[in-house]
Amino acid sequence: MIGIVVVSHSRALGEAVAALAREMAGGNPPPMTVAAGLDETTFGTDATAVAAAIEEVAADGNDVLVLVDIGSSVLSAEMACELIDPDIAERVRISAAPLVEGIVPAVVSAASGASLEEVAGDAEEGLDAKRVHLGADAGLDTPPPLRSSDTRPASESVEVVIADPHGLHARPAAKLVALVRSYDADVTLADIDSGAGPVPATSLSKVATLNAGHNARLRATADGPQASEVLAAIRDLVARDFADSPHEVSPPLRSPEYFPGTPKHAPTADAARSVVEPRSDAPSAQGSGLDAALGPAYVLRNDVDLEAYQQGSPAEEQQRSDSAVVAVAGAIRQQQGSDTGSTSELSDILGAHLVLLGDDTMLDDVAGRITRGESASASWQAVLNELAAEFEGLSDAYQRARAQDVRAIERQVLQALVHGPDSLGHQDIPDGAVLIVDELDPATAAGLDGAGVAGVVTMRGGSTGHGVIVARSRGIPIYTDGGDAVTNVEDGTTIGFDVNTRKLVVAPDEGQRSELVELLARHRADADEASRRATESAVTRDGMRIRVGANITSASDAAAAAEQGAEGSGLVRTEILFGASPTRPSATIQAAAFVAIGRSLGSEPVTIRTWDVGGDKPLPFLPGPQETNPMLGVRGLRLMHQHSELFDTQLDAVCAAAEQTPVRVMFPMVTTRDEVDWALDRLAAARAKVPEVNLAVGIMVEVPAAAIQIADLAAGLDFVSIGTNDLTQYTLAADRGNAGVSELADGLDPAVLQLIRRVVDEVPDGVEVGVCGDLASRVEAVPLLVGLGAHDLSVVGPMVPRVKQAIRRTSRTTARELADRALQAGSAKAVRELLVAHRMPTGSLRHC
Amino acid sequence: MGDTIEVAQFSDWMRRYAGVIHENAAMLTELDSAIGDADHGSNMDRGMSAVVAALEAGEFASGADLFKKIGMTLVSSVGGASGPLYGTFFLRFGGKLGDGPVDAQALGVALRAGVEGIVQRGKAEVGDKTMIDAWAPALEAYDAAAPDGLDAALRAAAEAGAGGRDAATPLVARKGRASYLGERSAGHQDPGATSSVLLLEAAAATLA
Repeated sequence: MIGIVVVSHSRALGEAVAALAREMAGGNPPPMTVAAGLDETTFGTDATAVAAAIEEVAADGNDVLVLVDIGSSVLSAEMACELIDPDIAERVRISAAPLVEGIVPAVVSAASGASLEEVAGDAEEGLDAKRVHLGADAGLDTPPPLRSSDTRPASESVEVVIADPHGLHARPAAKLVALVRSYDADVTLADIDSGAGPVPATSLSKVATLNAGHNARLRATADGPQASEVLAAIRDLVARDFADSPHEVSPPLRSPEYFPGTPKHAPTADAARSVVEPRSDAPSAQGSGLDAALGPAYVLRNDVDLEAYQQGSPAEEQQRSDSAVVAVAGAIRQQQGSDTGSTSELSDILGAHLVLLGDDTMLDDVAGRITRGESASASWQAVLNELAAEFEGLSDAYQRARAQDVRAIERQVLQALVHGPDSLGHQDIPDGAVLIVDELDPATAAGLDGAGVAGVVTMRGGSTGHGVIVARSRGIPIYTDGGDAVTNVEDGTTIGFDVNTRKLVVAPDEGQRSELVELLARHRADADEASRRATESAVTRDGMRIRVGANITSASDAAAAAEQGAEGSGLVRTEILFGASPTRPSATIQAAAFVAIGRSLGSEPVTIRTWDVGGDKPLPFLPGPQETNPMLGVRGLRLMHQHSELFDTQLDAVCAAAEQTPVRVMFPMVTTRDEVDWALDRLAAARAKVPEVNLAVGIMVEVPAAAIQIADLAAGLDFVSIGTNDLTQYTLAADRGNAGVSELADGLDPAVLQLIRRVVDEVPDGVEVGVCGDLASRVEAVPLLVGLGAHDLSVVGPMVPRVKQAIRRTSRTTARELADRALQAGSAKAVRELLVAHRMPTGSLRHC
Repeated sequence: MGDTIEVAQFSDWMRRYAGVIHENAAMLTELDSAIGDADHGSNMDRGMSAVVAALEAGEFASGADLFKKIGMTLVSSVGGASGPLYGTFFLRFGGKLGDGPVDAQALGVALRAGVEGIVQRGKAEVGDKTMIDAWAPALEAYDAAAPDGLDAALRAAAEAGAGGRDAATPLVARKGRASYLGERSAGHQDPGATSSVLLLEAAAATLA
C-alpha cells in the first residue's frame, strides 16, 4: 500500500488533517505519519523530521506520497528527499495537491490499493470537485479535469454521459477505442440504463453493439496498472465531446443547406457537423463546387470477384489475411497523409477505419474461421457482413449508416486478397468523367481528384454517408441515390445532373446537353460574381437593402465570416462558443469573447443569443435535466428560470460588451409574454450596473405559440428573429434527425411560411424581423424570405456571398408574388417547385 | 591571519554570526513583518543558538564535519524557509571544503556550491527579491578579488552582497510569502538578503 506523510507548519493542523483523512479511509487506512511544527506549539517545518517520517512509512516497502502545506513545507520535503537513502527517495513523490483536499482522495485511493502514480493523481485532482461545484473561474486555457459528481476518486470506474445527438457512433467510438488501446489497462463499457454490456472497450465492433444513444449513461470500468489514468482520459474525452483537444470548441452545427445540393432529406445534425468547408487554398484537390456536372460516365465496380480466389492451407490463408490487413491499413494511412484537401473530419473517418481494421474481436473471428478451414476471403466476407448487419440493426439511423464503413473495409480487404496489395489506392478515372458508384465510401471519396472528376452519382446510400460528406466537403458535385436511372449505365455514356433541381439525365439530347452546358456556365459566373462582390451590401433590384449577417460560434468563425462579407452577426451561439469550458465562464471572459467577435466583424452589431441548452445538449458546467422528450422540455429560457445566476452572469457580460461594441441580445425558446417579462427584468437589473449602453433586445421565434401571439410577445422589443429549424420541427411535429419523418420537417412547408408571414404582419411597428435559421442559408429560399418580408438574414458564414447574390437578383415585387403563391401552395414539394421555376425562368431540365 | 582557514576559524565565524543574528533579530523580524510573516529574526536566532549549542557539544575534525552538523541543525531548528535554504547552503558548502587547506580559491568554490544549493532549493533567480540577489553579486566580486587573497575577496563579497541587497529593495518579490504582496513588496528591504549579507560580513571578520 502507499504510505502518506503529512508535512505542515503546525503540529495541531498536521495531526488533525491526518485524523480527518483516516476517518475518510474507512476500515483499512494506509500508513500515515505526520511531520509538522517544530514542537507542539512552534510553527515551522523540519526537514530531518520529514526525512524520518518518510523512512518510517517506507520501512515496510511502501511507496510514499508526501502532502505538504505551504512555503517551507515544500522546501523541507524536498530537502528530506536528499537526506534519506536514495533507494527510498526513488519511491517518494511530493504532491502539489492542496493539503486537505488532496489527502482525502489520496488515502481513499491508497486504501483501495492504487499505485503511487494513481494516488498522486487523485490527490492532485482533489481540488477539482470544489472548483467545479463553486464554478470557480478556471480559465479557458487550463480546464481542470472534470470529475463525476462525488468527490471520491474514481479509481475503478467512471460514469459518463454521451452528449452527442447520435450517441456513441463510429467516430467517437473509434476515438474512445484508440484511446483505451493506448493505456495499459483492461477497460469494459456497459450501458447503465439499458443493461447492455459490459463489452471490451478495445473492440470497436463490440462498443458499437452497446447501441449507446444520445444521453446514454455508460459505466467504464478499468483494471490494470493504468486503470485510473485511462478512466480519467475517457472522462476527459467525453467531457470535451470527443473533440481532439481540450481547447477545441465544438465545431458549429452547419446547416445542411450550406451545401445547397443537399436533397430535402436533411442530414442529421452530426452529419452536418462533420461537413467541412471546401478549402480554397487547395484548388488541385477541390472539385468545381458548381453543384452540377456533365461528362462521360465511368462506372466504378465495388464488387470484388471472389471466384478466382485460390485457397491455400490455413497457415497460408492466415498469412494472406495478415498481409491484406497490413496493405489496407497502409493504403488508408497513405490517404490520411497525402490527401491535400485533407480535413480533420476525413482523418477521423479514416482513423475509424483503421481502428475497425485492428479490431481484436474481428481479427480473432477471422482467424477462427481460417483455422476451421475457411479461406481468408470467405472469412473476411462472413465476419464483415455479420458486423455490417449488426450496425444495420441498430436503432439510430445515423449509426445504421455506418455499415457503409464496414463494407468499405470489406471491399478493400477482399480486393487486396484477390488482386494483391498493389491493386489498392487511387482509381484510374478519366479526366472529366462523371463517376458512378454503388455507394461512395470515404476512402474512394478522399482519393478522388477533384480537378479531374466532373462529379459523382451514387446509386444508393443516402446523403449522409461518410463518403458523400467527404466528397461534398471537397466541392465535388455529387448526386445521391440515383438508383435505377444509373444502374445499367455503361462507361462512356454522357451523363449530367443538377443538384439544386435534383435533375439527372443519361445520354442527353442536344437540347438537354446545351441546357446543362449553359447551367454550368451560369453557376460558374454566379460563383465568380458572388465572391467578387462578397463585401458589397445586398440590395434588391428595386432598391431594398437586406442585411446579411453570419451565424457565429467562435472568434475564428467571425474572422472568416468578415472575409466573406458578413454584416455583423444575427446569431452568436453562446452555448457552442463556450461549449468546451468545463466551468461556468465568468462575465469577464464572456464579455471579452463577445467583444472579440464584434471587433472581428468590423464592429457591426452582433446578436448574442443567451444560453440555448436543454437536456439534449447539456453544457459541461450545466448538466441538463434527464428528460424523455428534451425538445419539448426545459430548454433555452425555460432552463434559465432554474439557473438564473447563470443567466444573470451572461446578461452582465452582454452589458459589459455593449460598452465596447454594438451588441444585441436575444432570448431563445420563448413561449409566453411572462417569460419575456421575466427576461427583461433580469436584463434591466444587469443594465443598472453599467453606464447607459445601447442594447437592442429581441427574442427568437421558434415556438408556434410565439409566432401566433407575436403581437403581444414582441411589444416593446427591438427585433425578433425566426429560428426556422425549431419552428419547423415544432410546427410539423417532426424531428428532422429522425429519418422516418425527416421528409415532413421541411422549412418550406406552407404552414411554416404562414407563421413567418404572420410574424412579419403582426409584430408591432418598428420591430425588425430577421431569420437566423437554416432556411436563410438556402439560396433558393432567399427570394421567398425577402418576399415574406424579412428585414435581415443571418446565415452560415461561407454562404454569405451567395445569399447576397441571391438578394441582388431579386426584386421585392416578384419576391412578394412568389411568397404569396408559396403561401397558397399545398405542400413543401409544391413550394420547392415554385422556387425552382423562380430561379430558372429559362426552363428546367426534363427528367430522362 | 593566514592565507588558509583553520577549522577553528569556521567555528568562530558561526559564533560571530550567531551573535550578530541575535543582536539583529528584532531588525530582521521587523523587515520580515513588512513583507513576510515576521519570523525571520526569531527563526534565525533560534537556529543559530542551536548551532552554537551544537558547537559546544561536539568536536569537529574537519570543516566538512562541522558544516554538516551546522546544516542539519539549522534544517531542524529554524522552522521557516530559511531552515532548508541555509541548511542546504552549509551542507553543500561543507561538502566542497575537502580535506586540504582552505585557501581563497577553495573557499570560493565552496561558497559557490552553497549558493547553488540555495538556488536549487528555492528555485529563485536574481531579481526575484530573495537572498540570491545578495549572493549572486557577492560570488562574482569574491571570484574577482580572490587572487588578492582571502581578506580582499571576503570584503569585496560582503560589500557587493550589501549592494545587491539594496538593489533588490525596490523590486517586486516573486518568491515566498512576500510574492503574495505583489507590487506592495516593492520598497522593502528583503530579510533573507539582509541575513545573508550579515553572514558574509561575519565571514570577512573571522576567516581572513
